[in-house]
Amino acid sequence: MSATRIPPPQPAQRVGAAPKKVDPKIPDEGPDFRTQFHAWVESHRASIVDSLRRLGRQPIGSFFTCLVMAVALSLPMGLSLLLNNVERLGGSWQRAAQISLFMQLDVKDAAGQALSKQIEGMPNVASAEWISREQALAEFQQQSGLGQALKELPDNPLPGVVLVTPQEVDKPTLEALRQRLSELPKVEQAQVDLLWVERLSAILKLGERFVFGLTLLLVMALLLVIGNTIRLHIENRRTEIEVIKLVGGTDSYVRRPFLYMGALYGFGAGLLAWLVLAYGLNWLNGAVVNLAGLYGSNFALDGVPVGDGFSLVIGAVLLGYIGAWLAVARHLRELAPR
Amino acid sequence: MIRFEQVGKRYPNGHVGLHELSFRVRRGEFLFVTGHSGAGKSTLLRLLLAMERPTSGKLLLAGQDLAQITNAQIPYLRRQIGVVFQNHQLLFDRSVFDNVALPLQILGLSKTEIGSRVGSALERVALSDKAELFPGDLSTGQQQRVGIARAIVHRPALLLADEPTGNLDPRLAAEIMGVFEDINKLGTSVLIASHDLALIARMRHRMLTLQRGRLIGDGEAV
Repeated sequence: MSATRIPPPQPAQRVGAAPKKVDPKIPDEGPDFRTQFHAWVESHRASIVDSLRRLGRQPIGSFFTCLVMAVALSLPMGLSLLLNNVERLGGSWQRAAQISLFMQLDVKDAAGQALSKQIEGMPNVASAEWISREQALAEFQQQSGLGQALKELPDNPLPGVVLVTPQEVDKPTLEALRQRLSELPKVEQAQVDLLWVERLSAILKLGERFVFGLTLLLVMALLLVIGNTIRLHIENRRTEIEVIKLVGGTDSYVRRPFLYMGALYGFGAGLLAWLVLAYGLNWLNGAVVNLAGLYGSNFALDGVPVGDGFSLVIGAVLLGYIGAWLAVARHLRELAPR
Repeated sequence: MIRFEQVGKRYPNGHVGLHELSFRVRRGEFLFVTGHSGAGKSTLLRLLLAMERPTSGKLLLAGQDLAQITNAQIPYLRRQIGVVFQNHQLLFDRSVFDNVALPLQILGLSKTEIGSRVGSALERVALSDKAELFPGDLSTGQQQRVGIARAIVHRPALLLADEPTGNLDPRLAAEIMGVFEDINKLGTSVLIASHDLALIARMRHRMLTLQRGRLIGDGEAV
């Protein structure tokens, strides 16, 4: 600690708005914008690297935290995907709510097709399809297993049918349309299975509400998981945070590495959840295809759409970020002067 | 530079840390605050660092009222204060260089500037050759000097030290005090809380004596 090695005195900066003395050798002014921007970028880069390093230092712990989050994320997402598949299985709403117009027996093909075109032009009608008496009999023979018995009948007992697909499926509109169609000439009966539509609608609405409730609960659970994990990291770095605050670190400077850590946990969890869902649906699909095949259907489960997968990852990153923010904010509040 | 006007600090549990304390510190002054344990030395330093707020009176630091300062303004105030702790408060997972560089990184200085200033600060405390070591590799006295280097690297107007020689033997304590005097000669106001009266007496600087939160003496140590 030789006095001769001590560099020339540097005038101390003053507190508050007092003017500063400038050392000609070392600039004492605040850093310019470019330097500050580079320092800001460098600070973010250092925070990301530091967060990755800390997560990598505890690979098993980090993996399990991500896995817990992934399970919590994949439950509502998986249920939502299954609901979508159930909806698809039940056919589109329009198909489910088709109105069948049973014509009188004397209606010929040409008249039926003309009527079908006329109905297509009506309001609230998406499409109309004419099924002739012969087509109806052939389908019935095939599906009922009574082919031989039906062949022995002297006449075809089935009427021609116009299948009308409505644009809207709410009950009053459907009922009004059915009423209008039933008043058309040569229409013997207009039939729509509204009860089935209502039941399916109610089941799907219940399912959607259940998924929504479950999502809310699990989002809260996720915030707790990430908040608790970040809280442990904060405890391990308590001294560092105190020192940073005492040497002039702002709250955002203290918060930054923890936010990156939360976001990284979220990113890992989102990717894992996507993987779990993709694998889970693929695993389930084998059994579904087999079951559907027994009913003569080629139905198969849809996987995780890429858009939904990305939304899942982005959502998880956001949740991680918010969870970390809440945890750090709580700690910073404790450090605030009283 | 520092003005205490009837400053009081009462904690929510009823304990009174400071009783209507009034004194002034000029720019570039070197002074000690002494008193027995619980006299209010640490409370006084915590008020100056804006770690706590006074419950009565007016505390001005270079014209800024620390009772009124917002939480968002506190980091910018602290950037102009250097602080040395009895237990050093070094980060043991960072090198000596990184410990000293911390205030400059927070200020957003360039790497070149940081390198230059850290080198200068370490030279001032005679630790230039220890920059790459970790605090755990250093002796207690060296760790304290790292703490001092960190406190002065950003050229603060005010240097606060809380029992900086508390854990050091007399020779090291005198050495550390020598460093503080060198820093004071550069124009930095130095305020040291200490109960080492023998050491204080040798330094012949102004001394405030506290007892149970009250100022009972203000004059040159003898």
